[in-house]
Amino acid sequence: MSTTVKNLAMDGVNDVADRPLDQKTLNSDVMSMISLPGKVWWTIFILDLVVLGVALALVRNLIVHGWGVSGFMRPVMWAVDITNFVFWVGIAHCGTLVSAVLFLFRSHFRRAVYRLAEAMTVFGVLTAAMFPAIHTGRPWFDYWLFPYPNQRQLWTNVRSPLEWDVFAVNTYLTVSSIFFLVGLIPDVAACRDRAKHPIMKLLYTVISFGWTGANYQWKHFYGAYLFFAALATPLVFSVHSVVSWDFAMAQTPGWHSTLFAPYFVAGAIFSGVGMVIFLLVIVRKAYNMQHIVTIDHMEKLAKLVLLTSCMVGYSYLTEFFMAWYGPNKAERDVFWFRATGHYWWAFWIMFSCNVVFPMLLWMKSFRRNMTALLVLSIFVNIGMWFERFVIIVTSLTRSLNPANWFYYKISITECALIAGSFAWFFMFFLIFLRVLPSFSIAEIKETLPMPKRRGH
Amino acid sequence: MLNKLLDGLLNPPPPKFHGVMGIWYYVDDAADAVKMLREAGHKNLNVFSPVPHHEIEHALEQGPSLVRWVTAVGGFLGATGGFALCYYSISSWPLVIGGKELFSLPPFTVIGYESMILIAGLSNLLGMLALARLPQLKQVAPYDPRFQEDRIGIWVPCDAATAARLESMMKGHGAEEVQVHA
Repeated sequence: MSTTVKNLAMDGVNDVADRPLDQKTLNSDVMSMISLPGKVWWTIFILDLVVLGVALALVRNLIVHGWGVSGFMRPVMWAVDITNFVFWVGIAHCGTLVSAVLFLFRSHFRRAVYRLAEAMTVFGVLTAAMFPAIHTGRPWFDYWLFPYPNQRQLWTNVRSPLEWDVFAVNTYLTVSSIFFLVGLIPDVAACRDRAKHPIMKLLYTVISFGWTGANYQWKHFYGAYLFFAALATPLVFSVHSVVSWDFAMAQTPGWHSTLFAPYFVAGAIFSGVGMVIFLLVIVRKAYNMQHIVTIDHMEKLAKLVLLTSCMVGYSYLTEFFMAWYGPNKAERDVFWFRATGHYWWAFWIMFSCNVVFPMLLWMKSFRRNMTALLVLSIFVNIGMWFERFVIIVTSLTRSLNPANWFYYKISITECALIAGSFAWFFMFFLIFLRVLPSFSIAEIKETLPMPKRRGH
Repeated sequence: MLNKLLDGLLNPPPPKFHGVMGIWYYVDDAADAVKMLREAGHKNLNVFSPVPHHEIEHALEQGPSLVRWVTAVGGFLGATGGFALCYYSISSWPLVIGGKELFSLPPFTVIGYESMILIAGLSNLLGMLALARLPQLKQVAPYDPRFQEDRIGIWVPCDAATAARLESMMKGHGAEEVQVHA
């Protein structure tokens, strides 16, 4: 009972034709990725660790000597730190969108890509969560962010959007990690049965919880999985809405807008799908997995990028329209400053990468060209990083009182923080590729025709 | 030394089972066998498969999972706890900030909502683990790694007298292999 990629409920052509895929070969193909790393993996991993090491040395400098070593000056106190935080939370959103929202909508194409996207979510939130923690300046007091009973009856300010963020991001980290690990259970059980190395076998035995595939296990597994999806779906939208309210609740020109929640959510999904495409193009090529993640899957992801790019573009135009049409002069000035002031270059990088270049995706040939998608996904992520930079820096440098106006310049420490955040993310991702199944064996198996004696 | 220790931990001597394990390749044959075995009075059978199959679920007459009730209770407690935290923390130190209301529903809703999702998610996990009897430290039936690949196993616990009859019934319903554990 074997089938080819064309049977995976997909239409169109594939770049690996007629490679057989049945229940058994699927296990072998996905598990073939879990092997002793080669020279290329080690080279990338060591390079990654070097970048991370340099970044950590600078972070140590920053913690010991204070934020003065970076370019942070009043009134631009958020700058790169919070830009990175919002960027990485945004990256994280795609995983839950693919795994939970598309699960509820019964979109079958998600099955081939959701594991990688979910892993990206967990590592993305882990990266994002570091930034507010460092940004407090005294990270050893970060536990003050959480409400806990103490002798002086001091509690956190639950009416502050920054405290909402603590609840939202930690809930997101917990729920997305659980969702990721629960989804792994059946696949890790398959790895456990094949593992030769005793330490790997022990790891898989622990993570698989002794899974055997019994009917009562599947029944409660899918019962719970549906609820994880149902809980994670509103969580995706709420978390980035809460992140956007960090800005929108303030009266700073350029921030105080009800548009922010849907605008941020669309932007998060846009950058997240961009990152998924970037990772998938490389992984499917490097591990020869084109029969599992087909061009049709990639095209569907590209359509998601196009959709969210249109939403983001619409939001940019709405912001400018509201500034022009509304009564607030400071708002008008800030938006004019964004497009033509000191940071015009950042604004136009943002606009071209997020709105202009993605329009190429209207062409089918572009959507199905992996090199083009890879390049575009890099542009999308550059554009989305600059979006957060533009929102934060242009508004803070031009607040309501001209006496506070300031020209902010990025420092070497902040550049290291950006590079370090990518190194931190990719360190987890590279280990994930080598240790856990990167594609969901059980869910992809469900799309294969099942062997039946009386036909289908 | 470590390898020996791990080997002993990961491969304990298999427990003694009493029953019959049939192994199927075709899903429809396995579903028919489940129906037949249940009609013959063997209601306490277990089915092992790499993916869940609707035909087999119907044959087993499985109802919906009870995990939803655990999740609902967790969600209710989470939302209540979130709102309670907001009210308690403000009433224990009523500090006016920015001239704003002390007790204000919109900000409390954010905390209550996130707490609801958090506790519902944790309850969902614990409910699933408890109901699916995970982590499974003790085997309930003989295990075969092929159940994670492409084969379906049906385990019927029984005594030696019934085993021979079950073996022939399973073979008559398309089992490609039958193992008797007497």
